[in-house]
Amino acid sequence: MLRKTALTTACVLTTATLILSGCASNIENVRGKPSVYEDVSTTGSVGGVGIESQDVVAMTDKMMRDMLANPMLTGRSTPPRIIIDNEYLKNESTSVINTNMLTDRLRIELNRAANGRMVFVGRHFSDMVQKERDLKRDGAVDGGTIRQTAAQAGADFRLGGRISSLDAIDRNTGTQSRYSQVTFEMVDLELGTIVWSGLYEMRKAARDNVVYR
Amino acid sequence: MIHLMKFLAVAAIGLSVTTGCAYKSADSTELTERTAPVTMNSVVFTDYNLKRTWTGGFFSEGERYRLSVVQHGQRPSATGTTEVYAVLRNHTDYDYQIEARTQFFDQDGVPTDVRPTWQRTTVPANSLSTYRELSATTQPLQYRVEVRELN
Repeated sequence: MLRKTALTTACVLTTATLILSGCASNIENVRGKPSVYEDVSTTGSVGGVGIESQDVVAMTDKMMRDMLANPMLTGRSTPPRIIIDNEYLKNESTSVINTNMLTDRLRIELNRAANGRMVFVGRHFSDMVQKERDLKRDGAVDGGTIRQTAAQAGADFRLGGRISSLDAIDRNTGTQSRYSQVTFEMVDLELGTIVWSGLYEMRKAARDNVVYR
Repeated sequence: MIHLMKFLAVAAIGLSVTTGCAYKSADSTELTERTAPVTMNSVVFTDYNLKRTWTGGFFSEGERYRLSVVQHGQRPSATGTTEVYAVLRNHTDYDYQIEARTQFFDQDGVPTDVRPTWQRTTVPANSLSTYRELSATTQPLQYRVEVRELN
């Protein structure tokens, strides 16, 4: 009998101690969930039917390598001057995408890989260059250390292109399918001829309700 | 009669055990590809579901594959860059979405060229598909193509 009472007392005390120690602090001293970095060149944890990072990387990489294998662009004794920006890259698709992501990556990767075989004109920086040129001509600043030219560089070729898409939705399952087509064309800025063309196309289907911003 | 039945039963159990042990799944750590030396001018499947081989056990060698490499090689492009190609064969009744990339090395085996990027392609059921990749530099190169199933 005595042993039973002692056992009961011990159990009550243990339970009370556990409860009290559990309520002693409101601080939850645990490590937070770390940010998850994903490889930009592969499908991430969130994926839909639109143009995503792996598509941007894959298409610009493919176009870059293809341009470098084109003798009209890289086989010349004098490296051609090329403009690659999004001025003439039209997004006519239902995908939400900043076309600068395509042209910026393409220009930068191409400039790094070309290693002097192509010269890139930063037309999107022309106002910045003109301001500095005006300051030099006005005598507000000195002439710099490189050289002076009569004008900014004119270009031989400029990139144009178009993004277009074709959507289809299955009303029964809610599955959405999108065929996306991205065209890139390098135009001769004197003749208007197209000296190089590249095409990237894909079709994706998904039921995920992914929102692109 | 009883002896014969016992013998057959033991033989069946033995055979099933040995064949069971011979098979290696794609996540097995005993696959030959996991520790194979890195070779230049080659095409490898980094996804062992697509192709895997193993040695050891009662049946000394084993192999499972869904895709295989028919041929591969390189040639110079018009501007002196290197074009690598690999012809893949699908042995299944299903289309396979794969991605492949090429790592380029110079003649000393030093990694060079731009960073490799995975490119998608489809190998139709019971058919062939060709993967191509161009280098960015004009120097003589060695290559290593990696193939995996698209996630």
